[in-house]
Amino acid sequence: MNAKDLKELDSKIQSMKKTAEELKQMGEDFPALYRNVSRLLASIKMLELNISDVAGV
Amino acid sequence: MISQQKYWNPVLETLAHEKIRKLQLGKFKRIFSWAYERSKFHRGLYEKAGIKPGDIRSFDDIRRIPTVEKSMMRGIQRKDPFPYGDALCVPLEEVSEFRQTSGTTGQPVYQADTWQDWEWWAESWAYILWAQGYRPKDRVFLPFGYNVFVAFWAGHYAAEKIGAEVVPGGVLDTQARILKIQELQCTAMMATPTYVLGMADTAKNKMGIDPRSLAIRKITCAGEPGASIPTTKKRMEEAWGAKVYDHAGATEIGAWCFECEAQSGGLHVNEAFFLVEIQDTETGEYIEEPGRRGKMIITALDRQAQPCVRFDSKDIIEWAPEPCPCGRSFRLIKGGVVGRADDITKVKGVLLAPSAIEEVVRGLDGLADEFEVIVDKEGDIDRITLKIEILKGREGERKRIEAQLKDQLRLKTNLGYNLEFHDYGTLPRYDVKAKRFKDLRGKH
Repeated sequence: MNAKDLKELDSKIQSMKKTAEELKQMGEDFPALYRNVSRLLASIKMLELNISDVAGV
Repeated sequence: MISQQKYWNPVLETLAHEKIRKLQLGKFKRIFSWAYERSKFHRGLYEKAGIKPGDIRSFDDIRRIPTVEKSMMRGIQRKDPFPYGDALCVPLEEVSEFRQTSGTTGQPVYQADTWQDWEWWAESWAYILWAQGYRPKDRVFLPFGYNVFVAFWAGHYAAEKIGAEVVPGGVLDTQARILKIQELQCTAMMATPTYVLGMADTAKNKMGIDPRSLAIRKITCAGEPGASIPTTKKRMEEAWGAKVYDHAGATEIGAWCFECEAQSGGLHVNEAFFLVEIQDTETGEYIEEPGRRGKMIITALDRQAQPCVRFDSKDIIEWAPEPCPCGRSFRLIKGGVVGRADDITKVKGVLLAPSAIEEVVRGLDGLADEFEVIVDKEGDIDRITLKIEILKGREGERKRIEAQLKDQLRLKTNLGYNLEFHDYGTLPRYDVKAKRFKDLRGKH
């Protein structure tokens, strides 16, 4: 996997993160939304550790 | 097919060393800033040393940062934000997991984790399990007591994460666990080396079941160095007809290294998630080259609730001279964790400080000052014998003393003992330094 592929993967991860963060903001009065999106963000963080962090190296 | 992929992360696990170092430096700056900005404990430590986040530009700069020891964590805990104290970097409501150290070296250290940290634990273990050949088709049995100790909890979640099927063997006794493994044709399991051998012994000698006839083909060990000791590994592999792999981790650190399928005599440090430094215990010099032992100072680069930044683990390790034939660029430590920088030892997988026994013996009314602790092996299982003396004229209280002693030893050290009562004055006396603790396990 080359640097370009990694950047593309990272771009999709960041897009997903942005959507999840927006959903979280919309769910402040909606526990089932807020808590599930919080967990989703933790999983997205694992994608960042595995891919995004190294895309910038 | 994803199951045929050799690496859990084909990018990070084969990254050139100089790129790994660049990644580590960047991630270290990030976790250092995080701890500095959010934890009174860390900020105080670093301000006292005159170091701010902007000062960290190289690995030499990192070495100027003070290390953290377990005793420091004990000192700040049981205070607000209760019970973690000032090392906590997130609001209490974001903490989703509590674990603690065994407490055999003193007060247990509490460990807070957020859900993201817990995902990170499982992620670290996913690297381990994939490298040891675990795949989605595996049915993994966990014969351990799910409790406040981290042990194989993260292994459980990682097995789920990689797509395997998990069978929790929590409160079952050994025989019931073996029957469940047999009934479900489990293909892998995780346990301490002592228990791996103990289970094999029970199956063979009490149940008439040859462990080799079961479907277990992979065993992941932790808690004791046995799986990195060639003779013990061989015994386990022969008993079960399975490959046995080692890994090392700790409550305050995480799962930081692992053996891979190549079984090349060392454990890979997960250098994408951890920064391992080795320091000469005599000179304080940092060791980069293979073949020189020193104590490990470790940073978990992504753990947030209660960061692990330059933790003085006191584990003795050394870099291996050759890369692993598996192709991973994560460096190997030769022979796993080969010892501890202090006098703490592991018995039955539990860290034991002789001072904890002394504390119990000396605190018990009716016992004389002298005692002796002998650790040896009964077959493959660690055995610990405590020899004590009852004070003259107190012999009639033996039952009460014995009961209290057993209770307090279990409470303070998490271990069961063979107690030997001797006549007063018959145990050895010492003039200068006492040798009350005798570890005979390597001398048979």
